[in-house]
Formats: sequence, C-alpha cells, structure tokens
Amino acid sequence: MGEKLLMSGNEVIAEAAIRAGCRFYFGYPITPQTEIAHYLAKRMPEAGGTFLQAESEIAAINMVYGASAAGARAMTSSSSPGISLKQECISYLAGAELPAVIVNIVRCGPGLGGILPAQCDYFQAVKGGGHGDYKMVVLAPCSVQELYELTVEAFNIADRYRVTVMIMGDGILGQMMEIVEFRDEEEIFNADKSWALTGTGMKRENNFITSIYINPEVLEAHNRKLQQKYREIERNECRVEVYNCENADVIVAAFGTVARIVKNVIKQAEREGIKVGLIRPITLWPFPNEAFLKYAQVPRAFLTVELNAGQMLEDVKLALNGANKTYFYGRMGGMIPAQKEILDEIKKIMEK
Amino acid sequence: MNYEYKLYEPTWCPGCGNYMIRTALKMALEGLGIEPHEAVIVSGIGQAAKMPHYIKINGFNGLHGRAIPPAIGIKLSNKNLKVIVESGDGDSYGEGGNHFIHGIRRNIDIAHFVHNNQIYGLTKGQASPTTAMGHKTTLQYDGVKIEPIQPLALALTMGAGFVARGFSGDIQRLVSLMKEAINYKGYALVDILQPCVVWNKVNTFSWYRDRVYYLPDDYDYTNKKEAMEKALEFGDRIPIGILYKVEKETYGDKFDFIKKGLPLVDRELNPLDAEKLMNEFI
Ligand SMILES: Cc1ncc(C[n+]2csc(CCOP(=O)(O)OP(=O)(O)O)c2C)c(N)n1
Ligand code: SF4
Ligand SMILES: [Mg+2]
Repeated sequence: MGEKLLMSGNEVIAEAAIRAGCRFYFGYPITPQTEIAHYLAKRMPEAGGTFLQAESEIAAINMVYGASAAGARAMTSSSSPGISLKQECISYLAGAELPAVIVNIVRCGPGLGGILPAQCDYFQAVKGGGHGDYKMVVLAPCSVQELYELTVEAFNIADRYRVTVMIMGDGILGQMMEIVEFRDEEEIFNADKSWALTGTGMKRENNFITSIYINPEVLEAHNRKLQQKYREIERNECRVEVYNCENADVIVAAFGTVARIVKNVIKQAEREGIKVGLIRPITLWPFPNEAFLKYAQVPRAFLTVELNAGQMLEDVKLALNGANKTYFYGRMGGMIPAQKEILDEIKKIMEK
Repeated sequence: MNYEYKLYEPTWCPGCGNYMIRTALKMALEGLGIEPHEAVIVSGIGQAAKMPHYIKINGFNGLHGRAIPPAIGIKLSNKNLKVIVESGDGDSYGEGGNHFIHGIRRNIDIAHFVHNNQIYGLTKGQASPTTAMGHKTTLQYDGVKIEPIQPLALALTMGAGFVARGFSGDIQRLVSLMKEAINYKGYALVDILQPCVVWNKVNTFSWYRDRVYYLPDDYDYTNKKEAMEKALEFGDRIPIGILYKVEKETYGDKFDFIKKGLPLVDRELNPLDAEKLMNEFI
C-alpha cells in the first residue's frame, strides 16, 4: 500500500475518482457534498481532466450521459434533492447501457428537509427512482477508507457491465476526516468500448447511442438482455460484511454509518452478556440475500436499524422470507440513534 | 387600513444586502396598503429565498430554481392575491432559467424580485449565472470562464412588459420600484443588486454604489431599443430604475373563465355544473 493521508470522505471520493481514471466531473453545489466539486475543481485540471459547474443537476447528469457515450469515465455527485432531479437521466443511462458513476451524499427529506445525515433515499436508489425496469448498483461504504476503495470499484463495475453505479453515503461520511491509505496504482478494468462515439476514422460503421425502441418485440428483447445482465451482476457483485454472527442472540442489519454505531453496540452488549451480530450490506443492490439466509435460524430475531422509517427492512424481510422474526428501529430527520437506544431495542427483543 | 408587517429574526449575515431588501419590501407592502392575507411571497431555495420565513405574510418556500411555476399556479387559482416571487440569481436564472424564460412568455400577473448578489450565497460562494467573467470564487479558482447572463436583456427579448433594476443600498428608490412592480398588471422583473458581504468580495456595496446611476426623469421607458441598451449596460456604469414598461394583456385576462367572476378557489362547484358539458355528448 502507498500514501497515507488524513482526508474527509468527500475529498476521498474526488481523489479516488481521479485515481480510477475519471477525467470528467460535472456537478452543481448542494450541501453536504459540495467539497467533492471543490476538490475536483483543483485536481481535475492538474490531472488533465474537465471540471464543470453546470447550471443544474439535470444538466450535470446529462453531461455525464454525453461524456460516457463518448467513451470516457465520468462522474457526477449531489445530495438527495439534486439526485431526485437526476432520475430521468439515470433511467436513460440504463436504457442506453452506458456506464456512469453517481454519488449521493444523502440528506434528510422529504422535500428540502434538512442537511443532516439520513438513509431515506434507499428505496429511490435500490428500487429504481426513475422510470422503467432497470437496476443500478448501489454501494454503501461505512468508512473513509471504504469510500476510497468502493469509488474506484464503482468505475470498474460501471464499465464492466455498462451500468450506473451509485455511491451512497451521508453527511457524516462525507464530512468526517479519517486516515485513508491509497494504493500506489489502481487496478483499472480495461473495458472494450467499441460502442462509444469515438469517430469512425472511416474504418467502421458509425455508432449510435439511444434508448428508443419503438418496436415492441425489439424493446422486449432489449429488456430481457438488461435483465440478464442484472442477474449476472447479482451473481458476481454482491458485497457484504458479516460480523459476529455465529451463535448471535440477535443479528442487526445496518448499512453505512449506522453499521459503525452498531459495532460499538456489539461491544457494549457483549459486556452485558448478549451476543449481537451484524450483517452489513455493502452493495444495497444487489442485496446480499444469501448472508441473511445463511444466518436466518441463528438468532432469536433480526433487528434492522436505519436512518429512515424502514426501507432496507423490506429487503431484509424478503431475504428472510419468513424464516425468522424481524424488528425495526429507525431515526429520521437527521437524528442519529445513540448506542443505548439500539441496545435497549436489542434488550426488548431478548425479553420477548 | 394601516397594517404594520411583523418581521422575524433572520439568519442572514450582518451587513447583508438582504436586510435592506426586506425593509424595502415591508415598506412597499405597507405603503400600498396590502395586508398580509392579501399577498403571498413565493420563493425557491437560497439566502434570498428565505424571505418568506422572515416576514409575516402568506409564504410559500418551494424548490430550488422553481419559484415561478408555483407562483403561476397560485395566481391562476386565486387572482385576488398579490403574488410576489423573491429569489436569488442562482435560483432564478440558473437552476430556474427555463422557468424564468417561459414564465415571461406567459405574462402572469406576478412581481419577481431577484436578489442578485452575483454569487451562490447559501452554498458558500460558487459562481452564479451573473458572476462576471474572470471573477475568482471559492469554486472557480481560476476565474469564471463563461459569459454572465444579462437578465434584463433576456427578459426584454422574451417580451417582458416590466423590466427594472434596483439597488439594495437605496431603500427609498427600491420601495418605489417594488410598488410599481407589484401594481403592474403582468409579469414584472426587478433585478436588485445585493451585496453578499461574505462570498462576493468583488461586487461589494461600494462597488455597486460607485457604479449605479438613476435613469433621468425624461427617460422614455416605452422605448424598447433604448431599454435594451440600458439592459446591457453593466460595468463602469449601471442604470437603476424602470428600464421598460408597457401595457400587455396578461395570461389570466385571455381566458374569460379566469377573468370574469370569483377567483377559481372561491367558486362553488357542484355536480350539476357538469350537465352542460354532458349535454354536448347527447
Ligand atoms: C435541487 C437543489 N440543488 C441545489 C441546492 C442547493 N442550493 C441551495 S441554494 C443554492 C443557490 C443559491 O444561490 P442564489 O439562488 O443566488 O441565492 P443566494 O443564496 O445567493 O441568495 C443552491 C445551489 C438545492 N437546495 N436544491
Ligand atoms: S452569505 Fe451573503 S447573501 Fe448570504 S446572508 Fe451572508 S452576506 Fe447575505
Ligand atoms: Mg445569489
């Protein structure tokens, strides 16, 4: 491993993008992720890339659409309201099968809501916030180091499958400073981009990027192909951390920053004689169903903890498919659960 | 009836031009004898757009860049309300540029006060569509590389019937501009120069003060060509006042069902009203 630096999550996303070969960033300011733009405004020109502040989030994502069509690694970032604006184009990117990386440093909604940490965009990201039958890979890091590694990975996954990959964090992760250890060199997936609009040099037929298929048979075939690709991603790209789950009394399901709190809860619970496990989905889609199935019978019950009203909870239930009881504890509006709150929920389950 | 508008404690920085704009707004509303239930302030998101939070009046604080469409919705459903849009330059001309253009074409009876500080204040100092070329910001380290929007010229080209520029540093004149805009029947744009003391160190209070001048009394504001010339004057000298004002038919007046009778929200509708329409099919 190489250089060790103390950096904020947002800066690390930006630096990781550069290291992953991203040379096009299009953004629009919104708290709490604007530092990504501020970092790239400096770094992109140094790296020989383009940084551009667009007139809106819609313009920014459509610029990514164009850069990606031209064969480049491109990224945009925003926070919840801005991500809502990008949904239309995310659907088009899926339809046109173009790779793209989108960062959502989630804030609390609905509407303008507030700027504090939340996980209330889970459904939007995982179930498809735009129109049509499509899927987007959603990565949910829980540390600055993981933000770095997953951002690089995001570009590789996007190129490998020609899909959109979202990195989903929150204000804690984006603003927090931690030590990050960079690799000397990144492993960059070298994609065949013969589909890209590179100019033909008069040597081949021209390429054409579109998501329009008026003929229903052709469109159904196109959809089947997309679905096949999504099944392949489900087989290959699922990532999960399973922690302390053997013989656990209660298994907590949590992602992102909440999972960090849960790890502290686990220590506290142990001192009180309760064994708590953690299943932390790192990919929210594809969802790590198998990890849940594997431990389905182990605990007395599962407890999903989120910064929302219960969104991943539905996927946990689907994964368990009735094999065990599932409870939920959530905070909203930028409120963060204290360790004690979570521990009390666990104790309630133990008493049931 | 004399009504005094109540103000709430704002979170704007001390010295911000928004304070003066709020004072002017309060004075304009009071001066026109408009009571808080007779008007509504519609805003997007930004420092300027916080206005409805800080003055006691019907308030609507919507999406960033999208104050104009709900203002249209409000005016068309209740023509008796005075509708005033208060938003920033980024909000009105950037994220909301499209709505700005099409709002003008529609000519709904609303007054649009743009707090133009030539910067994104709320998000900490990025360039806005009116930031000058070469201006270095917290994000455009190397200076802005693209031409700024000329909002008044754009409004004139789109056919706006009332186009004005104000300066937050001169409250008396701003009050009279606001009154004229509120009384004008149709879409009225007032672009208000507003120093942002924290994020815009170029277009400061004194920068504006040294440049603004008042359109002379004999200025003919019905002359579009001259208005266009004045609209493009933004540099060593910046004209303040009503650049252009002509009468135009509003959108609402083009439709009898809006123009005549009670505001749409006050109309009693009952199922029998559909009978006439149903008869057309029999
Ligand atoms: C969809 C969306 N994008 C971005 C933002 C973040 N944001 C809030 S205000 C603002 C711009 C503020 O600039 P301006 O309109 O000029 O108002 P000012 O603060 O300068 O008064 C931005 C980008 C947001 N709230 N919503
Ligand atoms: S940041 Fe600028 S626009 Fe916002 S309140 Fe402070 S001085 Fe006013
Ligand atoms: Mg502004």
